[in-house]
Amino acid sequence: MSDTLNRERLLRAYRTMRTIREFEERVHTEFATGDIPGFVHLYAGEEASATGVCMHLRGDDYIASTHRGHGHCIAKGVDPVGMMAEIWGKSTGSCKGKGGSMHIADLSKGMLGANGIVGGGGPLICGTALAAKMKNDKTVGVCFFGDGASNQGTILEAMNLATVWSLPAIFVAENNGYAETTSSSWSVACDNIADRASAFGMPGVIVDGFDFFAVHEAAGEAVRRAREGGGPTLIEVKVSRYYGHFEGDQQTYRAAGEVQKLRDEKDCLLQFRRRVTADGDITDAELGTIDAEVLALIDDSVVRAKADPKPGPDDLLTDVYVSY
Amino acid sequence: MVKSGGITVGVIANPASGRDIRRLTAKASVFSMSEKANMVQRLLGPLGTFAVDRVLMMPDATGIAAAVLRAVQANEAQGRTVWPRVEFVTQELVGGAVDSQTAARLMQDAGAKLIVVLGGDGTHRVVAAAVPDMPLATLSTGTNNVFPDWREATVTGIATALYVTGSVGADIALQRNKRLCVQLGERTETALVDVCVTRLTHVGARAIWEPDTIAELYVAFAEPDAIGLSSIAAMFQLIARDEPRGAYLRCAPNGRQVLAAIAPGVLERIVVDHFENMVPGVTYPVRTKRGSIALDGEREIEFHHGQVPQISLMLNGPPTLNVTATLAAAVNSGVMVDPVVRSVVR
Amino acid sequence: MARKITYQQAINEALDQEMARDPSVIVMGEDNAGGEGSPGEMDAWGGVLGVTKGLYHKHPGRVLDTPISESGFIGAAIGAACNGLRPVAELMFVDFMGVCFDQIFNQAAKFKYMFGGKAETPVVIRTMYGAGFRAAAQHSQCLYSLFTHIPGLKVAIPSNPYDAKGLLIQSIRDNDPVIFMEHKVLYTMEGDVPEESYSVPFGEAAVVREGDDVTIVALGRMVSFAQDAAQALQKNGIHCEIIDPRTTSPLDEDTILESVEKTGRLVVVDESNPRCSMASDIAGLVAQKAFGALKAPIEQVTAPHVPPPFSDALEDLYIPNAAKIESAVSKIREYG
Ligand SMILES: Cc1ncc(C[n+]2csc(CCOP(=O)(O)OP(=O)(O)O)c2C)c(N)n1
Ligand SMILES: [Mg+2]
Repeated sequence: MSDTLNRERLLRAYRTMRTIREFEERVHTEFATGDIPGFVHLYAGEEASATGVCMHLRGDDYIASTHRGHGHCIAKGVDPVGMMAEIWGKSTGSCKGKGGSMHIADLSKGMLGANGIVGGGGPLICGTALAAKMKNDKTVGVCFFGDGASNQGTILEAMNLATVWSLPAIFVAENNGYAETTSSSWSVACDNIADRASAFGMPGVIVDGFDFFAVHEAAGEAVRRAREGGGPTLIEVKVSRYYGHFEGDQQTYRAAGEVQKLRDEKDCLLQFRRRVTADGDITDAELGTIDAEVLALIDDSVVRAKADPKPGPDDLLTDVYVSY
Repeated sequence: MVKSGGITVGVIANPASGRDIRRLTAKASVFSMSEKANMVQRLLGPLGTFAVDRVLMMPDATGIAAAVLRAVQANEAQGRTVWPRVEFVTQELVGGAVDSQTAARLMQDAGAKLIVVLGGDGTHRVVAAAVPDMPLATLSTGTNNVFPDWREATVTGIATALYVTGSVGADIALQRNKRLCVQLGERTETALVDVCVTRLTHVGARAIWEPDTIAELYVAFAEPDAIGLSSIAAMFQLIARDEPRGAYLRCAPNGRQVLAAIAPGVLERIVVDHFENMVPGVTYPVRTKRGSIALDGEREIEFHHGQVPQISLMLNGPPTLNVTATLAAAVNSGVMVDPVVRSVVR
Repeated sequence: MARKITYQQAINEALDQEMARDPSVIVMGEDNAGGEGSPGEMDAWGGVLGVTKGLYHKHPGRVLDTPISESGFIGAAIGAACNGLRPVAELMFVDFMGVCFDQIFNQAAKFKYMFGGKAETPVVIRTMYGAGFRAAAQHSQCLYSLFTHIPGLKVAIPSNPYDAKGLLIQSIRDNDPVIFMEHKVLYTMEGDVPEESYSVPFGEAAVVREGDDVTIVALGRMVSFAQDAAQALQKNGIHCEIIDPRTTSPLDEDTILESVEKTGRLVVVDESNPRCSMASDIAGLVAQKAFGALKAPIEQVTAPHVPPPFSDALEDLYIPNAAKIESAVSKIREYG
């Protein structure tokens, strides 16, 4: 049987999803104060996707992420404190303040970076997977990308390459319905991104991205297949983002009440809580404790991010192969 | 939607495809929306030719409806074949099975004499639950189904027209099916082929592909050439679709082994320690203490300690079109030679 | 009649007027129609920063959204230009040239020459560049020198609203592929812009300020920094002449050389990285063609040779500014 979700794993899943949500809600409110620089794209609403997939990954498996990368980072084990500092542009940040929200990375955790270039991660994951295959270390690579990115040549080339080389790669299309203002039902010429899989000679499947259990199970199979040498898989996760494309987006292209309805009826955390407490194995109180711990962690990360020093003039010219 | 639309047939093509994880865990086929739209077009020709006036369709957001509309316009522009008038029922789409059920009820209200369903076991199950006495012409979209016909849509279109226009009577054209009823507290659900009690505590990705997760199995019929869970029962005993009995079996480590094709490309060893026939109308309590229940192969219901789901076999399943019998009857009665058909006025 | 509008409005107005004048002009880009297929409002965005907003309703059917397929739609704009349209395609951030450069430099740029003069490709690629938004390494670069390097492309770099409108109109009417570089920080800059349609010819530099002591050649956003520096230096009795080339391909060599003949000193200000930049190119030009006039080494004020950093603390150090220009000017003034 694929990874069984015992108590310990269920609690871990909840903690990860809750951490992502709390992190994003907090960045949202802090952004509104004008303190956070740059472009910030929030992952709130999509937590079950990153969590359901990354629960199956080892520390030395790689993921490639997107501009909407905070959730992937947290799910892959990147330290939220360093992430928060990075978003504030502080020298204590995951990338010393040089990358910012769109470029958080931690190679030691197998996190190959959020990415400012839509579709940038596909080929890179083929590369990590090729290395894994040549080293025969049984690791896998996961490329997260959006519905918008699914139309980018790099992603299509990467999927073809992954099959041709039979790579241990998993392509996770997070279809949140929009690329900026443009609807995926318009921009994706076939009906589902997953349907494209057959054209690339790999299995493709759709899962409900609000349902942690659905994502977890599908991803478990895809990761197992890849690890065992079965080749690549495409998983289309149907989700929604709770906030705008980036912070500041008025979202007039969306239907009125669209997000509220999802928050009320489908939210991954609410659904998860309802389902795991139904049997009494896990109690509301236990989840409440996690909520409190996560809140304290995020509070702390913000306090620290605000107080931490900015990078200094010397940092400008370091970390580049040649500088003048 | 008016009732006086002439001879009317409903068509429901399930837009929610691709969610079947058996595409990943097994070698289940991929059935695209465009192929479903093509199937609808292949139906429209024979329906129009054999004098069906109107086809009612479900609107959808995934492009089947849009593709059919484009095809209707193209057909009119080319003027080669007569198609029935294609109309869409007016409904608010909410996504999921409810849409198919709403569409089915609206079609029934609008006077449809039969609904052609394009989908898998699941789509047929939800449509049958919404309009229990409506005749269905069943068309499988994919290799992973047991209940619907695996047949060319053009031929189903001919048989459908022969039935709805009265050339072949219901006594010959339609057959009754059985159904399995699952009761859990207030909740009632129906399956058309099998009900599987699994040890998996979450609905998760819905499908079942690992034999050791199967605890109990209830089947309405068992055909050894079927794909999926019902074939396990068939390895012990054949049960026809029109026989007034079903089967119940339990899996446990010390029973007898069979090999069954529980999913496309998945031939697994299943160990069964109890087999008995189900008697129609009798209620069978589930023995497993906790897990999830799959209806026609897809996990739909989670149940917990203290809850005891009840399963029963009923003989009042949906009436379905018997394409072979219908066409044979039409041939025998002579209507297929020099047939009365509609053709394009050039 | 001139009135004050922003750089962004000036661009929108140029597109609007050209679309009204010539039905073969179309506009395309990601979210340019703003909301294709979405349940809410159309024209919700008008490109990521709203530059094309409003055109969708004014010119029905001629403002197209695109999937995120830059190779595809930039290439399609080029193909459409070969077949009678005058497309203005928006490459959201110039950094994304990375995913579509082949269509630009191997296709569009080459057609006319490679096909023996028989092809015309009247396409405009509008694209946003420059640092200052804390947008980090993949959304802040200043890549006009890469386009300028390619024979067959024309490159316009407006530094103010007036030039933005006039150069864009010229770009649309031009029969060659034009890369039109818009600095994101300048979008809110206000300036006098005539209501009526006009064009600014290519290859004609603007002498933004006259002076006898030092020539400052500055591009895009750097022009206003050069003006600030010149203002301050004036107080010390140093009179700077500021030249804004406005297009780097074609480049108005004469205006630059004439100015250096007069002043004998040159500072080139360029927001991009220093190697193979417009700064080094113009310095090379002057060293070669006005060597005799030079009284001091040429100074280049550029960003350092690193990618644009995210942190405001670093980005502020990265971008050239008036103070750096002043000290460069002072340095070569002291040189005998
Ligand atoms: C190559 C490239 N083109 C365009 C952009 C601008 N851009 C950033 S995010 C985005 C939308 C991406 O949509 P999607 O892939 O669906 O991801 P989502 O934002 O919905 O998570 C666009 C157009 C970019 N960063 N890179
Ligand atoms: Mg998206």
